[in-house]
Formats: sequence, C-alpha cells, structure tokens
Amino acid sequence: MTDAIVLAPVLDMNAAEPLKAELLARRGQAITLDASNVERLGGLCLQVLLSAHKTWAADGADLTIEPRSEGFSEQWAAFGAPEINAQDLIEGTLA
Amino acid sequence: MKKTVLTVDDSRTMRDMLLMALEDAGYHVIQAVDGIDGLETLAANGADVVITDINMPRMDGFGFIEGMRADPNHRTTPCLVLTTESDAEKKARARAAGATGWIVKPFDPAKLVDAVRRVAA
Amino acid sequence: MDAFEAIKATFFQECDELLADLESKLMLLEQGQTDLETINAVFRAVHSVKGGAGAFGLEALVRFAHVFETLMDELRGGRKPCDTVTIKTLLRASDVLADHIQAAQGLAPPVDEERSAGLVHELELLTHGGEAPPVVEEDEDDFGFTPMAFDAALDEPLADLGGSGEIEVAASEAQTGWRVLFKPHSRMYGSANEAGLLLRELGRVGPTTVSVDAENLPTLDILVAEEGYLTWTIDLTAEVDEKVVREVFDFVEADCDLTVSPLGGAPALEFEEEPPAVLPASDDLDVAALLAKAAGAAPPEAPAPAPAPVAAAPEPAPAPAPAPVPPPVAAAPAPTTAPVPPAQVAAPVAPAPVTIRVDLDRVDRLINVVGELVIQQAMLSQRVLESGLARSSGIALGLEDLELLTREIQDSVMAIRAQPVKSVFQRMPRLVREVADMVSKQVRLVTAGEDTEVDKTVVERLAEPITHMLRNAIDHGLETPEDRVAAGKPAEGTVRLAALHRSGRIVIEISDDGRGINRERVKKIAIDKGLIAPEAALTDEQIDNLIFLPGFSTAAVVSDISGRGVGMDVVKRSIQALGGRISISSVPGKGSTFTLSLPLTLAVLDGMVVSAADQILIAPLPAIVESLTPQESDLHYVGGVDPVIRFRERFLPLIDVAMTMGFRDTPVVPNEGVAVVVETEGGQQAALLFDAIQGQRQVVIKSLETNYQQVEGVAAATILGDGRVALILDVDVLVTDMRRKSGRPDFKLAS
Repeated sequence: MTDAIVLAPVLDMNAAEPLKAELLARRGQAITLDASNVERLGGLCLQVLLSAHKTWAADGADLTIEPRSEGFSEQWAAFGAPEINAQDLIEGTLA
Repeated sequence: MKKTVLTVDDSRTMRDMLLMALEDAGYHVIQAVDGIDGLETLAANGADVVITDINMPRMDGFGFIEGMRADPNHRTTPCLVLTTESDAEKKARARAAGATGWIVKPFDPAKLVDAVRRVAA
Repeated sequence: MDAFEAIKATFFQECDELLADLESKLMLLEQGQTDLETINAVFRAVHSVKGGAGAFGLEALVRFAHVFETLMDELRGGRKPCDTVTIKTLLRASDVLADHIQAAQGLAPPVDEERSAGLVHELELLTHGGEAPPVVEEDEDDFGFTPMAFDAALDEPLADLGGSGEIEVAASEAQTGWRVLFKPHSRMYGSANEAGLLLRELGRVGPTTVSVDAENLPTLDILVAEEGYLTWTIDLTAEVDEKVVREVFDFVEADCDLTVSPLGGAPALEFEEEPPAVLPASDDLDVAALLAKAAGAAPPEAPAPAPAPVAAAPEPAPAPAPAPVPPPVAAAPAPTTAPVPPAQVAAPVAPAPVTIRVDLDRVDRLINVVGELVIQQAMLSQRVLESGLARSSGIALGLEDLELLTREIQDSVMAIRAQPVKSVFQRMPRLVREVADMVSKQVRLVTAGEDTEVDKTVVERLAEPITHMLRNAIDHGLETPEDRVAAGKPAEGTVRLAALHRSGRIVIEISDDGRGINRERVKKIAIDKGLIAPEAALTDEQIDNLIFLPGFSTAAVVSDISGRGVGMDVVKRSIQALGGRISISSVPGKGSTFTLSLPLTLAVLDGMVVSAADQILIAPLPAIVESLTPQESDLHYVGGVDPVIRFRERFLPLIDVAMTMGFRDTPVVPNEGVAVVVETEGGQQAALLFDAIQGQRQVVIKSLETNYQQVEGVAAATILGDGRVALILDVDVLVTDMRRKSGRPDFKLAS
C-alpha cells in the first residue's frame, strides 16, 4: 500500500517548490495525496500536481489524490483541470 | 472570518477614507503611516491584503513593496498600490517592485472594495 | 453622510498640518537646503493635499495643487533647478494653495481667479522651462476623476464559481461571448496575482467554460516550480464589451500572454502569428495545446497581437528623461535565496512617536476634575491640620504624599494640553512676505524656539498679538532698503521671532534690526495727545512704553498695514487678557525688541492670599513687586484726600481695595494694614492696601464669566482649601480703570 502525503491547507506560490520536492522524493512509488485539508489551490501547485501526474503516469506508477476537500475539488474544477484519479476517470464523476 | 486589510498611507484623510470604505465592506482594517511602519505592522500582524500609497516619508511605497516581497511570509500577499498617477511609468515601477494591482485615486468605495476582492484569495 | 463629513473635517485639519510642513520645508529651501529629501517633502505635502482634495471633488484646489505638484516633480527629478527664482515662486504658490484650501473650506471667498491663474502660469513656465506649456494638458491629466481602470460588471449574474467548470456551453454555437487564451508568466505569480482568482473574476462577468492545456508541462524533475507552463482557454458567454473582459486582466496584462477573440467567429485563436491552417479543427484541448506550443516557442516578450484599446501600453515609451527606475527584476524572481534588504530604508530614523488623538472636551473635563481634586486635597489637608493631628502622624504624612501626587497629576494633565508654538510661528513667514511686499521692504524672518510648549488656549491666542507686532516691526521698525543702505546696514532687514521658557512663563520676543524708537517723537506725540504732562521727566524705558497707551500711533502716515486705530494698546490688552505682560526695549539705530511674557497655562495661577474686610482675595503673584507695612512717615495725602505712599523714592497711589471693591465704606487706617506694591502690564505701579496677607499658593482658576458674570476688578475666582470662594483680583483694572471711575484725577506717569 502507499503512504499518503498530506497536502498543506494553502497551496500558493510558497508551497509550490516544497511540494515539488516532497513529491520528487517519492518518485517511482505509488502515492496518495490527501487533499482533505486544502483550502486554497493556486496555479503553480496545480502545475506541480499535473506534472506529477504526468511523471507518475510515464513511470507507470499510481498517483491518486484522495480524499479531497470541497474547496480543493471546486478549485480543481474551476481551473478546468482534467480528472487524474484512475477510478474517477473510469466512473466519469467529479469528486 | 473577517479578512484583514493593511493600509499604508501617510495621509490621515486617506487612511480614514480607506478605513470607512473597507470596514463598511466587512473587512478588518489595520493601519500604518509609512513604509517602515508598514513593514513592522505587517510583520507583527500579517494581513490578507495590503493597500499602500506611493509617496510617503521615511520609506516610500516602492521600498515597502520590495521589502514585503523579500519576506517569505508576505511574498504571496496581494498588494494594491494607491496612486493618483495613472501613468504607465508609475504602474510599471510598482509592478516591478511586486505590486499586485493598483487603485487610481480618487477612488469611490465600491471600486476600492472591488479591487480588494479581486486580489483577495 | 456623517462619516464622510467627518473625514472631510479631518482632511482640512490635515491640510493645516501639511501647509505648515510645506511652509517650513520651503523655508529650508530658501535657506539653501535644497537636498532631495526636502524637495520630496514639499512634493509630498502638495501631493497629499491634491489627493484628498480629489476625493472630495474640490476641483479648483485639485487643479492648482496639480500644477504645483508637477513643478515639484520636475524639481525632485532634477530636471529643473531649484534656484532662487523658483523658490520664490513656490513660496507664493504655497500662499495661493493655502487660500484655495481656505476657500474650499468655505472660510474664505473663492481665490481671485487672476491671482491663481497668474501663479499657475508662472509654475507652468518653470515646469516647461520657458517654452509655452503644451496646450493639451487637460485630457491626459492624471489627477482627473478617472474611474479606476477596471469595472467588473457587478450587475452581471454571478457565475456559480464552484460549478463553473461544469457549465456546458457548446462553444461552437454562434453564441455571443469571448474566447480568452491566458498563459500566466512567472512574474504574474511573483506579484501575488493568482491564475485561479482571475478565472474566478472572469466567472463573475458571465458563465464560463474553462479548460487547461498541460501539454507544455514538463515532468516533475525538470519542472521549475515558479515558472508558468499552463495555458487556459476560457469561453465566456456574456454579452459584454471586449474591454470588460480585458479589464479582468488589467493588473496582469504585462505578465501573461492573453488573447481575447469573439466566440463563434473566425477561429482567430492564437497568441502568435501562427498560420491558422495548421490548426486541426478538433477538440478544444488539442487546439489549445498547439497554441500553447506556438506560444512557448515565441519570444517571451512578444506582445499580444490583439488590439488593446484599453489601458496604454504597459511598456513606458521612451520616457522624457530616464527617471531613477530600479531595473526590473529578472523575469523570474527565483525563490528568494537571501532576504533582499529593503531598498529604500532611510538612514537611521527615529521611530515616529506614537500618538493618539483625543477630543479636546475630554481633556478639559479631565483638567477640570483634576482641578477639583487639587481643591479637595487642599481642603482635606486643612481639616486634618485643624483637627490637631500631630504632623508626624501617619495621616499627615500620607496627606503630604497625596499632595505631591496630586500636584504631579495636575502637571501631567496640564502637559496634555501643552502644544508647541510652532503652529503659530509657521503662519508668520507668509505674513512677513506679504507685509514686506506691501511696504516694499526686504525682510528676512528668523524664528527660534518653535518647539517651546504652552497651553493650547494660549497658543491659539498668541497668533493675533504676534501678527500685529510683526506687522508693526516691519512697517514701523524697519527702514526702507535705501535708508538701511545709507545707514550702513544690509538692505534686507531682519525680524526675529523667538519663544523660550523663563521662570515658569513663556516669553515671546519679537525684535527687529531697524531704526529703533524715536524717543523725541514718541514723547512729543504723547504730549500732543495729552497722554503725559509736558513737563514729565521720563526714563527712556518709560518713553518707549508710551506706545502702549491707548490712542497712540507713531506712524506719521497711517499705513494699510498696521491699520488705523489698532495700536499697540490693543495688543497689550489682548496679552493682558491672557495674564501676560508686554514690554519693549529699544536702541536707536539698532532696533527694538518686544517681549511678551505669558503664563504657561490659564488653568492655574500663583497668587498671594490676602484679606480685605471679610473677604479673601487672591492677588496674582506675577503682578506683585513687594509688600510692606505702611509707615506714617511714608504716607501723604494729595489734596488732603488721596493717599499716596513713598516707595523707592517715588510716590505711588495707595488704593484701599476693600473700599474700591465696595466691601466696606470706611477706609482702613493705612498703617494697620499691609500695602502690596503691584505693577500693571503697562508698567504703572501702585500700592494696594489690604487688611492682612495670609500666604502664597497656587490656585485653580474658575471662570466667573461662565459661572456668574464678569465683575469689574475681578479676573476670576477660585476655591480655597477650606471651601471658601476667593476672588482673584484683576490688578490692572483695579489700578487704572476703577480708580479713574471713582472720580480721582488720572494718574500721570512719574507724577
């Protein structure tokens, strides 16, 4: 099973670099990101998460964002960002 | 929770006007009288949005914004510049210093509050 | 709107401070201190006036301040020299600015159009260096009441933010709206702008469909966390102007790639001049991906090709002169490695003193209550004394401490009302300029001791006498430039205005280096006007002080400046009303010095407690010269009736206070009472006869006028320790007016 990385409540510019570093440290492993505390999701952290998704997919490892706070889901959708959790894609639902 | 707005202006009149408009709109307002006072107030109290004048004694608005952006705690805090000058040069300088946006004086309360809302997370 | 009016009042209050500051900084400039900080301070003062005036729509004021400010901006930019001519103009401009402020407040009629326009012209000439000012000034004025450049359409139905991603609108339909392509740069995030918030704001304009293109996004290992890779495509279905859409991005226009094109129109969907043919007409994401690629390949500086009818190009066109703009920070403010020291921290500056503003009423209430406390404390002490408690008893000792404490509280409270005389002094340079212009003299005003503090009421009431005396000094004291040169003096006269503390009082000195008092002439006028007896032998000092007598005017030609009928006697009276005294000393050919001495506060007074008949009275200590027991041999009766007493080889009238005040009908036998020699502000001496002296004490002044009515010969009242009311004598009235009224012949100096 995978270890969950708990995402910080405020994912603004300040959070982008640390988030990237934290994710890179787990490269190659399947990971779950716990977004239940996230209040604010900024464009730069969105980039990090989307890039991670791309990277993990290329590596053939699983990356799942779950659970998600309401704020996270709303902001993710408002960014027009694609669904990245495997099961969500299958079910075609939004969180 | 009320959002906190820090206003930095050496003019008492302007501070009062900002206070009135922002409190009416439901913001919590803290004040500073120049750039140095502004940095100290920001360090001590933090703020969700900052509004600063440009022409001030001791430390002007540009210096204040640069100082604010140099502080990891406040580099992502939105900062609006109050200016009577709508000329491009002032705006470019403010932007280069790290200003998020500007408010052209004289402002009416609705526009001020709108500008704050636009940049407030 | 009450709050608005209150702020307006604050504004005018602040204007006073700004004007004072302006004046003092201009004085520094005049003295040759033309450093950048001083020029900047002048700029800021004018700028603040303009800013506030704009907020209240005070157009005339804004217009004038704007022209003033524009010149200051040239000066601080070093584009125009801060020379003598300029400074003189600035000084006069500050006077007109002050008038505009007065007019805006409704305290004065509108400023004379011609005068204002004249100065505007002068300022503009200086600003534009002799060439005719560009005529186009008006429209691109930055002070105009331009609304802010953005105008989020608040009336529009707000999109449900959370669901905006779900709003399904077929973009292909020929719907009215806009397609926005938006790619933030690193710098946009660096200025704390956030892509998410911009999307949110766009959502407020109308329903949006948002998609993001992550094609350009590198894998995590090579991703630069604070670089911008994503491109958003937002379809906005709202019937709004393109302007409205662009205004959402107003703040970030320079820090992102942005195109706005009509929805359902030709697919002109690119940041760059990429041939549209390349675009496969497939789904949005792919298009966007290609577009983003194109954008990524393009030079980062390439401007958005879309017509930008809104704000001017953000890149400043070749500026008129390279202003000291800090080089723009490198495009990507890399994660701050070390905190950059704030660039413009001035050299060690004293921290601004922390102040609060308090309603004056509250302070006065406090002062009043403390006054009562002082009285209560005195009464308590007296009771304890009367009860025969031993002085060393705990109660007596405690009371002594209480007395010290009470006194300290009183002093501290008085200090709250204390203000520097600066506020009055700062009004004087303008006056001096105007008077000097009017009488065609060259005058330099030197001030000293501006920080000397005195009670607020005293400060306020100082303005008039000082004004009058300065006018007098320039009009009468100083010679014309020609006369001065002829007398071997510099053409420019000097008038000095100084304040200092001396033995518990404030002293104001106004001196000039003019001709001094022409004693021959003064004496002649006084004799001609019947103010003194022709044979009177007067000392120089006494002659000088004749000018304070009512009805005395030295100017052979009464000029506009000092005004007819308003002589030094008026000044003297207003000073006396404050419990002060005025004197003059003069050296012929060298100049004159007027000295005002005033109590620091009008709330307490040092007095001598005396009794007359059954009344307890207070004689103000400053008026008292000496007290003595009359000896039979020193007494004489003029005409066999009016008693006079010999004092230092002169005879002074002896006034029986109890009789004069009507406390009793029969005179006291002089050698059974005590004579107190007093001196009026005018220098007249007289002896007041009382029954006994009881001691000396500081008393709290209670106005009779507010509590009762004015009583002749009584300046005020106080409450003594035993609870009795004591009247405070008005020595001047007692010595001069009341004696005269009682039908006695007028007292001639040195009779």
